Amino acid sequence: MSARAAGAETAYGPLVAALAALTLAATVVSLSVGYARLDLAGALSDAFAGRSTVAAVVLEQIRLPRAALGAAVGFSLGLAGAALQGLLRNPLADPGVIGVSGGAAFGAVVVFYSGFAGAFALAMPLGGVAGAVAAALSLYALVGRGAGTMTLILAGVTVNSFAGALTALALNLSPNPYAAYEIMFWLMGSLADRSLPQLWLALPLTGAGWALLLASAPALDALTLGEDTAASLGFDLARLRAQLIAGAALAVGAAVAVTGAIGFVGLVAPHLLRPLVGNRPGRLLLVSGFGGAIVLLVADIVVRLIPVHPELKLGVATALIGAPLLYGLIDRMRREA
Amino acid sequence: MFTGFPHPIRPTSSAAFPLTVEGARAVLRCGRQRAPCGGGWGALLLAALVAVAAPAVAKPQRVVSLNLCADELALRLADPGVVKSVTWLSQDPRNANAAAKAAALPANDGHAEEALGYAADLVLLGPFSDPASIALLKQTAAPVVEVGAPQTLAGVRWQIRDLAAALGEPQRGEALIADMEARLARVSIDRREPRPTAMVLQPNGFTVGRGSLIDDILTRAGLDNLAARRLDIAADSQVPLEVVASLAPDVLILDRSDERAPSLAEAALDHPAIVALEPRMTVVSLPARLWTCGGPEIAEAVERLAAAAAAARAGRATP
Repeated sequence: MSARAAGAETAYGPLVAALAALTLAATVVSLSVGYARLDLAGALSDAFAGRSTVAAVVLEQIRLPRAALGAAVGFSLGLAGAALQGLLRNPLADPGVIGVSGGAAFGAVVVFYSGFAGAFALAMPLGGVAGAVAAALSLYALVGRGAGTMTLILAGVTVNSFAGALTALALNLSPNPYAAYEIMFWLMGSLADRSLPQLWLALPLTGAGWALLLASAPALDALTLGEDTAASLGFDLARLRAQLIAGAALAVGAAVAVTGAIGFVGLVAPHLLRPLVGNRPGRLLLVSGFGGAIVLLVADIVVRLIPVHPELKLGVATALIGAPLLYGLIDRMRREA
Repeated sequence: MFTGFPHPIRPTSSAAFPLTVEGARAVLRCGRQRAPCGGGWGALLLAALVAVAAPAVAKPQRVVSLNLCADELALRLADPGVVKSVTWLSQDPRNANAAAKAAALPANDGHAEEALGYAADLVLLGPFSDPASIALLKQTAAPVVEVGAPQTLAGVRWQIRDLAAALGEPQRGEALIADMEARLARVSIDRREPRPTAMVLQPNGFTVGRGSLIDDILTRAGLDNLAARRLDIAADSQVPLEVVASLAPDVLILDRSDERAPSLAEAALDHPAIVALEPRMTVVSLPARLWTCGGPEIAEAVERLAAAAAAARAGRATP
C-alpha cells in the first residue's frame, strides 16, 4: 500500500466524523428555515410533550419530513453516484446523468397515476426501484465494464431522454388535469410539502440499498487493481456487479419515488471528496453519501431562501451547480485523453 | 347597482342579433316544437311584447360551445337540441354540473376547426380561447360570443344575462338569475365581527386572494379571507403548506372532488399536517365545479360556506 493511501487512511475516521457532523448541522439548519415564523424551541418542547399545537404540527409534519428526506435522498444519490462510478470506472456516472433517476421516476409515475399506489404501501417506492433497475441494466448492457466516456454519456443521454419521454407520456395518458404541471416535479424533483409517511415509505428500501452498496467497498477497492487480481483475491465480480446495481437501484429508486429525479448530486459529492480519500473507490462510498446529503440539504435551504415564488425545483438548483462541474470534468478528461 | 359594470360577454359579430321579424318567426316556430317554450298564445303575446320592447333576437339553432363554462350555461339556457356540441370536459361529472346532459352530445376538444364541422350559427368561446381560433372563426363568418370569467357576484349575473340574450332566451336567463338570487337571499349570514377567518387551499397549493370571484363568495358567506387580508395575495397564488398551517384559519376550504384520478396536486390536500390540524379548524370540501365557472351554482357554494362559518362560530363559542 502506498504512503499516500496510508496517509489518507489515518484521516478517514475524522473525515467521516466531520462529514456526519456537517450533515447533522445542515439538517438542523434545514429544520429552522421555512416560510412561516416558527419558535423552534417552543415547537420542540410542544412536540416532545405531545401537545399538537400549530407550531408542533408545522415542525413535525412539514419541516421534519422535509429535512430528513433531504438528508436521506442526498445520502442515497451521493452514495449511488460513488458506487456507479466505481462499477463503471468512470467519474461521470451520476444516477441523474446516466438515466437511473429518470427510470426510477418513470417507474414511480406508472404506479402512482395508474392508481396502483393505493394497492399496498410500498407499491410506489418499489415502482421506482423497478424503473431504476431497468434503466441501470439497459445502460450496463450497452456500456459494460470500463467503456469509454463517450459511450457512457451517449448511453446515458439515450436512457435519460427515453425515460423522460415515457414519464411525460404516462402523465399525459392519465386522467389527471394537473399532469402537465406534475411532469416538472418528476423530472426536476422537489422536497416541498413532503410528509412523514413518505419518509417511512422510502427509508426501508433506501436503507437496504445503502447496506448493499457500503458492503461492496472492499471489492470495489480490489477492483482498482484489475479484474484478474480482484478475482484472485477471492472477489466474485459477477456478484459484485449485481450487488452494486441492486443497491443503487434500491437507494435511488425509493428516493426518487418520493422526491422526483434530482440530478447532479451523485456527481458533485464524489468529485469533491475523491481527493480526500486517496482515490480509493471503496472509501469514497460513505463519505460521498454524507457529501450528497450536505449538497442536497444546502440546495434545499437555498431554494427556500431565494425569494422566488413558487419556489425553484430542487433539480434547478443542483443543475446550476452540477452542470458547470460536469462540463469542466468532461473538458479535463478530453485534454488528458 | 350594476350599471357601468363591464359586460363579460361581448358579441363579436352583429350576426348574433339579427332582425326583429326573424326573432318573432323563431318564437312562432318554437310553438310547434316539443321543447318547452312557454307554450300557446301566452308565448306569442310575450313574444310580441319582447319584439316591441327590445330588439328581439333570432334564436341560433346550431350552437357549438368550445368552453366548459359556456357549455354549462348554454345547456341550461338553450332549447334542447340547439346545442350541437360541447367540450369533453363537460362530460366529466367531476368538473361539470351538467354532465348528464353533456354526455348525450358529441364532444369537442375546444378547437375552432371542430365548430366549422357543425355549420354552427353561434360559437361560444372562453376567456382563454386561442386568438388564432377566434380569428379563424371570424373569417368563416360564424357569429362568435366570448364567455368571460366573472370576478364578482354581479359579474355572474351579467354573464348569464348576456349569454341568454345571445341565445335568444332572455326570459330563461332572468329566471335563472332570479332562482340564484332567491337562493342567495335564503342563506342566513351572521355578520358580527370578528368574522371567522378562512383560507382556500386548491390543488398544487394555490390559494385565492383579493379581486376574485371566490373572495367575493367568501365575503358574501360571512368569512374573512386570510389570503386577501393577512397575506395580501391578489387573485390566485401558490402558498406553502407551512403558511396555511401556521395561520390556522377557522375555516379551511379544500377544493377537492369526491371522486378523482390520482394526482400529486390533490394529494397535497390530504397532507398529514392538515389532518393533524383538523380538530382546530372547520374543514369544508368544496368541489371546483361549484365556482370555477361563476355560474348559478355559486349559490350552492355560498350555502355551504355560510354553514361552515356558522359551525366555526359555534366551535369558537364552546371550545
